[in-house]
Amino acid sequence: MQTNDVVLRIENLRKLFPAERKIFGKVKLFVHAVDDITFEIRRKESLALVGESGCGKTTTGRVLVGLEEPTSGRIVVEQEDVTPLLYEDESAAKRYVRETYVKRFSSMSDQQLKSLTGIDAVYAQRFLDLGKNEAKFVDEMLQNRRERVWQMRRRIQMIFQDPYESLNPRMTIFDIVAEPLNIHGVGNLKEREELVAKMLFDVGLTPPETFMFRFPHELSGGQRQRVAIARALILNPSFVVADEPTSMLDVSIRTGVMKLMMRLAEEHQMSYLYITHDLAVARYMSNDIAVMYLGKIVERGPTEEVLKNPLHPYTQALLAAVPIPDPEMKRGEPNIKGSVPRPINPPPRCRFFDRCPYAVKFCEDNDHPPLKEVAPKHFVACYVVAGEAS
Amino acid sequence: MLLSVRDLRMYYRTKMGYVKAVDGINFDLDQGESLGIVGESGCGKTSISMTILRLLPDNAEFKTGSVLFDTGNGPVDLVKLPESEMRKYRWRGISMIFQAAMNSLNPVYRVGDQIIEAIQNHFPDMPLDKAREKVAELFTLVGLDPSRMDQYPHQYSGGMKQRAVIAMALACDPKVIIADEPTTALDVIVQDRILKEIRKIQKKLNMAMIYISHDIAVIAEVSDKIAVMYAGKFVELADAVTVFKRPMHPYTYGLMHAFPSTVGEKTELVTIPGEPPNLLNPPKGCRFAPRCPKADSVCLDVDPKYREVEKNHFVACHHPVQPKEVVRFYAD
Repeated sequence: MQTNDVVLRIENLRKLFPAERKIFGKVKLFVHAVDDITFEIRRKESLALVGESGCGKTTTGRVLVGLEEPTSGRIVVEQEDVTPLLYEDESAAKRYVRETYVKRFSSMSDQQLKSLTGIDAVYAQRFLDLGKNEAKFVDEMLQNRRERVWQMRRRIQMIFQDPYESLNPRMTIFDIVAEPLNIHGVGNLKEREELVAKMLFDVGLTPPETFMFRFPHELSGGQRQRVAIARALILNPSFVVADEPTSMLDVSIRTGVMKLMMRLAEEHQMSYLYITHDLAVARYMSNDIAVMYLGKIVERGPTEEVLKNPLHPYTQALLAAVPIPDPEMKRGEPNIKGSVPRPINPPPRCRFFDRCPYAVKFCEDNDHPPLKEVAPKHFVACYVVAGEAS
Repeated sequence: MLLSVRDLRMYYRTKMGYVKAVDGINFDLDQGESLGIVGESGCGKTSISMTILRLLPDNAEFKTGSVLFDTGNGPVDLVKLPESEMRKYRWRGISMIFQAAMNSLNPVYRVGDQIIEAIQNHFPDMPLDKAREKVAELFTLVGLDPSRMDQYPHQYSGGMKQRAVIAMALACDPKVIIADEPTTALDVIVQDRILKEIRKIQKKLNMAMIYISHDIAVIAEVSDKIAVMYAGKFVELADAVTVFKRPMHPYTYGLMHAFPSTVGEKTELVTIPGEPPNLLNPPKGCRFAPRCPKADSVCLDVDPKYREVEKNHFVACHHPVQPKEVVRFYAD
């Protein structure tokens, strides 16, 4: 589905890190941190990206906000391909446009170009309008690149895990929350003051005047995370990457921050990519959930559906391992072998093969399984579940 | 009674005054019994174990109380012992699994040798081959391959290091083991294995255990009885099921309803308004009163007594939550 309601769409995103250092010769070993993942998020909805440490969930978020360059793949924000903006180097951006569009489009007939769908259709039309002039098309895609990078950064913001480290201790709360406004040159001082005051009020730091000129160390953990949220939302982004925003907070404080984030999403017409290791928190913070294992999404679907009816053996093990806050409830035994390997040049077979209790020869002989829709909107990457291996 | 703690008070001295981290703690622990202490960061739960083991920093001041430990020939009060005597009971009588196991192993010594060192410290007469045998036994007990005892910590995964630290804590056959957030830095699947291992060993060796955590779901799994700690005090103590099903302190009630779960109905989560108090100048009356929806003028004025409201159910509250009562918290 690709409607205007989709705020973010990630296609075949990959991020590899070199796993060895070489002065001469080519690096051959790579950590496949994020390996060919695809998902989309609709407006006002949020997707929880869950998995154990090292599964690639944080790397995904970092690529989205431009802290890491993607190795390959396409990222579409509100019907605009922002991938060329994520590359620091202009020639890399150019290469991306040539590889993704020019090469493909120039080998197609007009008929074929017109039959493309989604975001491809938009760019195919431009390609036709420009009389199939490749150089012009590339130029247009990279037009005003600097400016558009700024715009993109306004639209995608991030909330970090540790509110004790993500706020500059030498800046006042006002300066911290107003910094994005300064950087993007929004309003004059008086207007900024009003915006910050309103934002602080919105995140529950009331009355704002008493907080504005204090320093982070004077605030508690919950209050600091509220400041971090205020800073992320002050530019009215359409999309926020929240990387474990409540995992450092105590239970009695945490619910307040969780509820606040949900309320703000509604009020500001905003979506979250909610990165967490905690499935119980994910249940309350997301409409959809994607479970990652070694750089791959192994299962994706509506949150309640996935939690009630997990299909991938990894999701099942993960859920069975979550302690239940009820001493009378007995949970199952997680059915999983061994421990998480390092994803360095993984062999071409199911990533979960070594640990899977149901693995058969088919899983070893074939490359990692694609995500398959096994129930409405419920996708699983497993040959056994999909009934393709026996 | 194996361990009997009475009116334990320990304050930290700071420039601005005393931080009342442990302020009148009482509990009993029987052989083979496991007590879970749950509380939020800074409530003093780790300080309790440090006070019992007398591993306190220089600015800590022991105030009052007694820690009666049954040695087999009658109880001794650990707080009154000279340091040289205390050393006999540390590790052999009461041992501890520390938080952040990753950092509690020395990276330049083989894991096995570190455990042997602990054993030989307490049993200087034990010959090396005997000690190695003991370590191999311990490794098997905690689910590690004994052939790994001559490896270095960096060759271990996080879960394996945690197992090694547990093996070390068990090295001198303690009667009581204190586990302070032993699984907090671990991923759920590894956490699950370690939790089951700890519980299994504790039952098998019939040890008493004090398990400290901020995570009530983890506490629910490993405890026979649970103490809920708030701002330096126990506010409620009872058997695990009672604490979860019939909490009487409003704070316990709030915690139980603030904790999300992956199973069961997706219920509305409770937000407890405000923040825990600063232990430098805790509020005069009940320390939870400023956040409590049931608080009245008495609560703000008089510190409630920690008392046994029904058999083996201790609560410190002027207005305990009644069965079936619904407490509404007003946040925002």
